[in-house]
Amino acid sequence: MRKHIIKTPIAILSLLCTQAAIANDQLTDNTPRLTALTHASLMLSPGEMIENATLLIENNKIKAIVKDNDIPKNAFVIDLTGHTVYPGFVDPFTDYAIEYEPVIEDKSGPVYEIKRIGGNASNGAIHSEKQWFNYVYPDKKQAKEWIDNGFTSVQSSYLDGIFRGQGVTLSLADKKANDVIYKAATSQFMAFNKGSSIQDYPQSLMGSMALIRQTFADANWYNANKGKASNSNNTVEFNIALERLNDLNKQSFIFDTKNLNNQLRAARLLNEHELNGSLLGNGREYARLSELKNYPFSLVLPLNYPAAPEIIDGDSEREVSLAALRHWERAPSNLSMVANADIPFALTQHGIDSDKFWPRLKLAIKRGLSEQTALAALTTEAAEISGIGNLAGKIKPGYMADLVVTDGNIFADGKIVSIWLQGEEQQLINRDRALLDNLYQLQIADLSLDLKINQTTPLSGTLSSGEQEVTLANLNYQSGRLTFSADLSEAGFEGISRFTIWLDNQGVRGTMLDAHNQALPFGGLKLANEVEDEQTQQPNSIDTLISQQTSPNVAYGLKAQPKLDKVHIKNATIWTSDKAGVLENSDLIIARGQIKEIGKNLRTPSGYSVIDATGKHLTAGIIDEHSHIALNGGTNEGTDAITSEVRIGDIINPDDIAIYRSLAGGVTTAQLLHGSANPIGGQAQVIQLKWGDNAEQMKFADAPASIKFALGENVKQSNWGDDYNRRFPQSRIGVKSLFSEAFNEALAYRKAQEDYKKMRSSERRRTVAPQYNYRLEAIAEVLEQSRTIHIHSYVQSEILMFLRLAEAYNFKVGTFTHILEGYKVADEMAKHGAHASTFSDWWAYKFEVYDAIPQNTCLMHNNGVLTSINSDDYEMQRRLNQEAAKSMMYCGMSAVDAWNMITINPAIQLGIADKVGSLVEDKQADIVLWDSNPLSVYAKVESTWIEGRRYFDREQDKRAQASVATERAALIQKVLLSDDEHKQGETPIDLMEPEWHCDTHYNAWQQTAKGAL
Amino acid sequence: MKSMTSFKQVTALLCLPISFMASSHDMLPAAPQSQAVLFTNATVHTVTNGVLEQSDVLVANGEVIAVGQDLDKQEQVNSNNATGSELTQAAKADYLAELETAHIIDASGKHLYPGLIALDTTMGLVEVEMMRPSNDAYEVGFINPQLEAITAFNPDSEIIPTVRVNGITHAQVVPQGDGLAGQSALVSMDSWTIEDALVESDKQFHLYWPHVRWLSTDEDKRKEQLADLERRIDKVFNAFADGKRYLLAQQAGKVEKIDLRWQALAPLYEGKGQLFIHAQSQQQIEQAIALAKLYNFNIVIVGGYDAWRVASALAEVNAKVIYTQTLALPKRKDEPIDLAFKIPALLKQAQVPFALGFSSDWNSRNLPFAAGQSVAYGLTKDEALQSITLDAAKVLGIDNMGAIAPGYKANIILATGDILDPMQAGIESIYIDGRKIDLNNRHQQLYQKYLKR
Repeated sequence: MRKHIIKTPIAILSLLCTQAAIANDQLTDNTPRLTALTHASLMLSPGEMIENATLLIENNKIKAIVKDNDIPKNAFVIDLTGHTVYPGFVDPFTDYAIEYEPVIEDKSGPVYEIKRIGGNASNGAIHSEKQWFNYVYPDKKQAKEWIDNGFTSVQSSYLDGIFRGQGVTLSLADKKANDVIYKAATSQFMAFNKGSSIQDYPQSLMGSMALIRQTFADANWYNANKGKASNSNNTVEFNIALERLNDLNKQSFIFDTKNLNNQLRAARLLNEHELNGSLLGNGREYARLSELKNYPFSLVLPLNYPAAPEIIDGDSEREVSLAALRHWERAPSNLSMVANADIPFALTQHGIDSDKFWPRLKLAIKRGLSEQTALAALTTEAAEISGIGNLAGKIKPGYMADLVVTDGNIFADGKIVSIWLQGEEQQLINRDRALLDNLYQLQIADLSLDLKINQTTPLSGTLSSGEQEVTLANLNYQSGRLTFSADLSEAGFEGISRFTIWLDNQGVRGTMLDAHNQALPFGGLKLANEVEDEQTQQPNSIDTLISQQTSPNVAYGLKAQPKLDKVHIKNATIWTSDKAGVLENSDLIIARGQIKEIGKNLRTPSGYSVIDATGKHLTAGIIDEHSHIALNGGTNEGTDAITSEVRIGDIINPDDIAIYRSLAGGVTTAQLLHGSANPIGGQAQVIQLKWGDNAEQMKFADAPASIKFALGENVKQSNWGDDYNRRFPQSRIGVKSLFSEAFNEALAYRKAQEDYKKMRSSERRRTVAPQYNYRLEAIAEVLEQSRTIHIHSYVQSEILMFLRLAEAYNFKVGTFTHILEGYKVADEMAKHGAHASTFSDWWAYKFEVYDAIPQNTCLMHNNGVLTSINSDDYEMQRRLNQEAAKSMMYCGMSAVDAWNMITINPAIQLGIADKVGSLVEDKQADIVLWDSNPLSVYAKVESTWIEGRRYFDREQDKRAQASVATERAALIQKVLLSDDEHKQGETPIDLMEPEWHCDTHYNAWQQTAKGAL
Repeated sequence: MKSMTSFKQVTALLCLPISFMASSHDMLPAAPQSQAVLFTNATVHTVTNGVLEQSDVLVANGEVIAVGQDLDKQEQVNSNNATGSELTQAAKADYLAELETAHIIDASGKHLYPGLIALDTTMGLVEVEMMRPSNDAYEVGFINPQLEAITAFNPDSEIIPTVRVNGITHAQVVPQGDGLAGQSALVSMDSWTIEDALVESDKQFHLYWPHVRWLSTDEDKRKEQLADLERRIDKVFNAFADGKRYLLAQQAGKVEKIDLRWQALAPLYEGKGQLFIHAQSQQQIEQAIALAKLYNFNIVIVGGYDAWRVASALAEVNAKVIYTQTLALPKRKDEPIDLAFKIPALLKQAQVPFALGFSSDWNSRNLPFAAGQSVAYGLTKDEALQSITLDAAKVLGIDNMGAIAPGYKANIILATGDILDPMQAGIESIYIDGRKIDLNNRHQQLYQKYLKR
């Protein structure tokens, strides 16, 4: 008993507390919810509109579309006369309502390994195990950003890392999580940016791409082999990140990139693995539509229009690029251009303030986007991408009652009046208050008065008859009931009359109380609203585009790819770079991209143009063995000591003006190498400098695979600062064992693969397969001689070390690049058969080049080492002819030998000498016409052909210079003449990338924290 | 005892790379000219008087005595005197005496050029750029007019002989820094000591005009950068105002405590020195001109990428330009691809007095080829040569270098071909102050060594 007595007050108290915190009527809500929206224009789906129809909603779904307005008696009716109903909009790319804080390890860099927890991935940027529905917690305030623009549902994910986890599509309704989730697990979100991961790897764009490739391979392997673990001696570690990436081809991916090049890279990567999905856009799609069109991916396009470039004075004007000016002008046309290219797309609010969304979309429509496509992008396409095409995006029985109700055409001057979320209305403009916008004619006794209310605060209005007008006082309005007073003495009602009026969409009824408190009832009609004709504006000059569009879409870009030349070049001095040596007064004919004929006094075939090259010189295109131009996102994956999985070929930047500048220096081919930040760097890519072509077209078809290795100061991190002293190796002593270890691993890897292949199929079914490893694969290829090494090297000790190591592993070293002390061990190099590619005269910039001499080329050449000169530099690349000539000056090399160092010799080193590097009949027509001896400092390139197309021409360049100047001037005028509205926009985040060099340390993700990559 | 040894070992190890570099090579500086030299039958690139074919040059006591055809014929003596005036009897006698004893070098089919002057270098201040112990070019602090680069000049730098072999007989040794970085000096490329090397000239102050290296695209950061730039520019103007105050006080005998900085800067206000302002963009250059106007400074713009755009403003303050970007990329994406190559011709066209520079230490040896490059893009060969000889000397306020003409220092290059073109250069010998210098260098030595392997 005592217990009870004590307990009771506490129980009462706690009950009181609960009640105070949350009022909770304990009754079940059993309201029948059948609603009829009548007399509305229904936009059932893009292009399918029915007028004066009724939409029947039951609970949270659409029940029926009733065309004859014959509605069930039990329906609650809302009259939507004069209104249009659209399907609610869907935003496929958001981070709405994800309540999550990542756990970030407190560890100082460099970080090579992360904490393994809960069976997660080994890389800190992989969160593919995350399923974001687990973290959904609706947020009314945040939802408003979308609802106000007509959105009713969104696809959402936490936006962090490379594999970001599976998104969730949910309603924006203000309900509990369980009610709003439409589809729990939708697309896997992806990006190149590693986000908050503290792990160093990957530090570069190509590193991210390699990690993605390896992860896909790991996932396929894991899900194919995890079941075998119990049957054999092998084990497969539990890995939830890989487990969730099962059946990749049945999953869908949505890839977040921040620029056009990366968008195309993402497309290529997904396509390479035959995956499905969508790409987040960036607003510049118009610049490479034909490429985007080649991929089976839909786009999710933001409406980010750049702010006008800042032009204050001559200096700031010069810093603005034509590309930026063009983009400012053309960005609002992007959507219509994408639509015209028939690439399916949805729209997103991502990347802009939500209040900019509709003004921007309307501008896009003004620039030619059809309303139907715009609507599809907001509804059907967006629903499809968000995985809810079967329940949202259309007005259709069975679909969610997610609707947008407007007054007028939403794509023109219409206004959103209300939003229906799961059958519940949120009025953006109070329907009652909308009545105040109507014009009514009151019939008081025999007096006709027009009533006009202005929705000011406080309200104001007038009663008028013809020219006469009376201002109203004491206006008050609530729920259709309007009261005011007016002085109608002019009309014969003495004193101040007081009105009470009930408004609806048909008319009014009311009572007037005169000065003697006599009530006079009256009625009135709704008048048709005046048509405002301010929409019939003249087309604005701002919408007439004056900028050109070129490929690439930067200054000096081309209108079209140069045509295949049919040309007879007469009477030139021809440097063949072949046995024939230098031919005086000779002719060369180019046809079908090849050298058709070389000889004296050739006959001009009909249909061929003629170039008189008297006094001029003709050479093969220059080839640069070592270059880092035309790359994005870092030339080094300078994190792990071995990164042979990364590919320069993934990150070609066809927009780089360096391509054009080097063409003007006679360069036609360059090997783009990984940097020298680690002993085994990445895979190289040989490109042709086909300015105007796209990244894939620039790749030298059939060039043998190659890879960058490195020795010396850079790989031991000598000049990286005090934080970098933990990675093995830190000395030249250590480098050798790192290589041995890598080679042994690769051999073991290959053997395991072969052993597995040899097994009977029944045995294979029981045995865990060896895991595919891109890193070891590339090294195995080196050992098998199917991938050539270009090894960055300086001092004799390391050169000899590597020669002997290669011999021990039975492979031949391809080319020692830089090789500034090659002259000391030229004999050994020649015996091994290794080639050399060096600088003409660089030295003394760091300690390991203190013994570099400009006679290096001669000593190596004379000892039988095939030698070339490379640039490793943007500027020097365009003067490689002069660099070659320096060997004539410093050590008396012959002109022909000097010239070969930048043509046939590098061609041999790159394994492409059968196609380029010399002027020989039937070889590729990579040809340079010079105005004088090409080895002279006074020589200038007149024209450069690649595969018979003239990609550079000095006269054409002069015209281009003039046209760039004219176009810039016109666009700058346009910026200066524009009003603030046309100038505002997001500050464009340009990729601020340095000129890449071997030793450029660059953290792609840190530099672009605000996201240009 | 034991600890002693280990200490010694440690010191030895530490000193190893440094002493290795500091150790002098075995190329001996040449002795002062004791015997006259007569070059005969050469193509003489006089710079002051065009290119003379088949001409002779007489050099004695470190100077050019005469230039002309058939100098060994006595009747030519007067006509070969560049001043045009009659020689005094004494001078005539000297001349004939020198001619009598002159060592004759047959230069038939060869070229004579004046020695090249490399402007804006860190010669002798830097041995291996990335090794801090061997890099003395840069000092901290924003206002350091009192620093003298010459104090750290290493005449034994291994780099020097590799640079002079391309015809560079003199170099301007320039301190690097932010703001007022100190004073540069002109040095001979063949000397025993700093004092041997130094060529006397007026004070040469260097100001690195404040700029933002990379303007951020982040709006807030950008604002911060620009505000900071404003502050630094104010600091420059304030410094010169303070310098002026100090000078005024000094002139009135009111200085109580020495201020090293302003004391050093004083000659500049009195027109006894030049201010080299390192600036590239139009805005920077215009700001520099504003400063020059304020105090009537003699200024030289170093870098000068946009200088051709502001020719008339430069003319107003009689500014000269050292253009250092000939072998550079265009600074802005949309600029003509060959703009950097063309700027020397554009400066010429705009009548801006200029010289070419090649800002580096070891790489300054490519100066002649930068000049050659400008020929392909609009300068004449003579103009290009002048921009790295006579005009370079003029920029430094030196009037007896950079030409082969009587009264000029006998800094002479003998070559078999065009020294601006590596394909044909062929430098055979070089004279500094009439002394034939050793053309051996670290590279030759290693080359010769490994030829024997």
